[in-house]
Amino acid sequence: MNGTDIILSVDQLTVRFDASPPLLKRLVTGAKRRTVHAVEAVDFQVERGSTFALVGESGCGKSTIARTIAGIQAPTKGAVSFMGVNVAGFRTRHAALPYRRNLQMIFQDPYASLNPRWRIGRIIAEPILTHRLMTRGAALDARIAELLATVGLSPKDAQKYPHQFSGGQRQRISIARALAANPAFVVCDEPTSALDVSVQAQILNLMKQLQRELGLTFLLISHNLAVVAHMADRLGVMYLGRLVEQGDAEQILARPLHPYTRALLDTVPDPHAPHRPRARLSGEVPSPLAPPSGCAFHPRCPLADARCAAERPEPIRVDAVSVACHAVAEGRIDAAQPDRPKDQQSLEQSGDAA
Amino acid sequence: MTAARATLASWWDGDLLYRFRRSPVAIVSLLVAVLLFAVALGADAIAPYDAFDPAAANVVDARLPPGSAGMYGETYLLGTDPQGRDMLSAMIYGLRTSLMVGLASVVLAALVGVLLGLVAGYFGGVLDAVIMRIADVQLSFPAILIALLIDGVTRTALPREVHDALAVPILVFAIAASFWVQYARTVRGLVLVERNREYVLAARVIGVSTPRILFTHILPNVLGPVLVIATINLALAILTEATLSFLGVGLPSTQPSLGSLVRIGNEFVFSGDWWISAAPGALLVLLSLSVNIFGDFLRDALNPKLAS
Repeated sequence: MNGTDIILSVDQLTVRFDASPPLLKRLVTGAKRRTVHAVEAVDFQVERGSTFALVGESGCGKSTIARTIAGIQAPTKGAVSFMGVNVAGFRTRHAALPYRRNLQMIFQDPYASLNPRWRIGRIIAEPILTHRLMTRGAALDARIAELLATVGLSPKDAQKYPHQFSGGQRQRISIARALAANPAFVVCDEPTSALDVSVQAQILNLMKQLQRELGLTFLLISHNLAVVAHMADRLGVMYLGRLVEQGDAEQILARPLHPYTRALLDTVPDPHAPHRPRARLSGEVPSPLAPPSGCAFHPRCPLADARCAAERPEPIRVDAVSVACHAVAEGRIDAAQPDRPKDQQSLEQSGDAA
Repeated sequence: MTAARATLASWWDGDLLYRFRRSPVAIVSLLVAVLLFAVALGADAIAPYDAFDPAAANVVDARLPPGSAGMYGETYLLGTDPQGRDMLSAMIYGLRTSLMVGLASVVLAALVGVLLGLVAGYFGGVLDAVIMRIADVQLSFPAILIALLIDGVTRTALPREVHDALAVPILVFAIAASFWVQYARTVRGLVLVERNREYVLAARVIGVSTPRILFTHILPNVLGPVLVIATINLALAILTEATLSFLGVGLPSTQPSLGSLVRIGNEFVFSGDWWISAAPGALLVLLSLSVNIFGDFLRDALNPKLAS
């Protein structure tokens, strides 16, 4: 991606959490220290004005990445650099303010992300006042009204409290707050997963429209592939804290390479082919307390062999996509067909499970 | 203006007020408590005689039963005490002292407790461990014992006149020292939940300073339970003050509180002079009962789990 404008660069990012039992218990029972490997050696870059989406199951570490980028979670190793500045390296709150002004976040739960005791006007004004972009007065009120209008709400709503709004309206308020300080980059952590399907589409279209008008860059965290297909320019697929495949969203969605990406895409219901053959995943996601050796996906992978269990695959480039899989590197994958269910009944079951 | 009216209207129609209007017990208890507060505030105007003026007390009129007439034709509605003081006046001033000590100690305990609870809950780690272990140690001593200890130490350390002059602040400090733990523990527990809620994370992403997050975002969202504890603790603090004064380690008898009045009367109960103890005792019961019942109502009304 040389020559393009990289706004965010994530370099070998690793986040681990200490989940050890208390000291006393470790001494008495001899229990060992335990570490949650939430994010392991993740690399990606986001171009200005584009949307980068991270997908994966619950617990795969995508929200942890979002929080690290937003500066509310410290990385264990590696670095996040935003507009060329390391986001974990600020010594004082003041030093971090320019970064904070340019990077904002939209949260998943519209019922928890707005202070229930604050009026909407105060909520939206908070970024503006914190960064001293304006002082209280008529101009600020006008700006709040403008922001409310931008997200499709009425200027009168500034006087109301969050509980007077529906989930979709609250998410609009969240967006207005995120945009209040004119940021360049917005981290969207599952912005629509708590909303009704009809409202989801409205919020996503609003986000797209704002991106066009304001030249915003989005990092979109989602487990919903339909949302990702609608929004993303580039896509990263995560499994157990690692990026297994990343690259051009269209190409990955049309021609997934990694066996996990294929399985993930097979879970999307297709009304035109309800009984199409699907790769069925057996087993559970392993615990991030003790990730499997070699490729983290090998215990569930239909193509796994001895090498997958022993050696961690390095990412290789295939067209506009980078994928970390021995089977792809060795050319085994195109020959392999996904397991087909043997009878009609199991087909139905797999359809229900999806 | 319309916004203010809308807020007022929503408050009037709010859940809390609806419950209040439908609970005669809560209404009566609040009325009684407010009445007692008003009497205590207006003590100088309401009390028939000045309980602090030695000249107003007449030893000849000592230990007169309720309703008696004094030497100079005074009427003592609730009788007189061993110094010939009008009991009703002494009780009204005593009520003021009791309420003052109770309110001051609750405010002090709540201030310290809420602050420490906020800090312990938000920052966690070593700070949390240290504050909460101190609280645990504190909690293993009964409130009376801590108060006795503080009073005992200051009594020997300070000259008598100084101690008498400082009696109220010392008492307030002693009671607050045993009550702050409850606020600290409650607030810490609530903060542990609130600090990971997304509105707090949003404030951090915006770049809001930590003190602002603590005081403008988290504090208002944890104040409800604090208010409930404070109301219930007010009655407890008044009773603690009464107990200490009854034991003789609280306020000097020149500065009547309801507890010290009960203690004075205690010596004469077996001589048949029941009113000296009974009258301030009854007022104490009325005061703590009304405040306590209203506190219980607040606790139930603000607890969604008890909503029926």
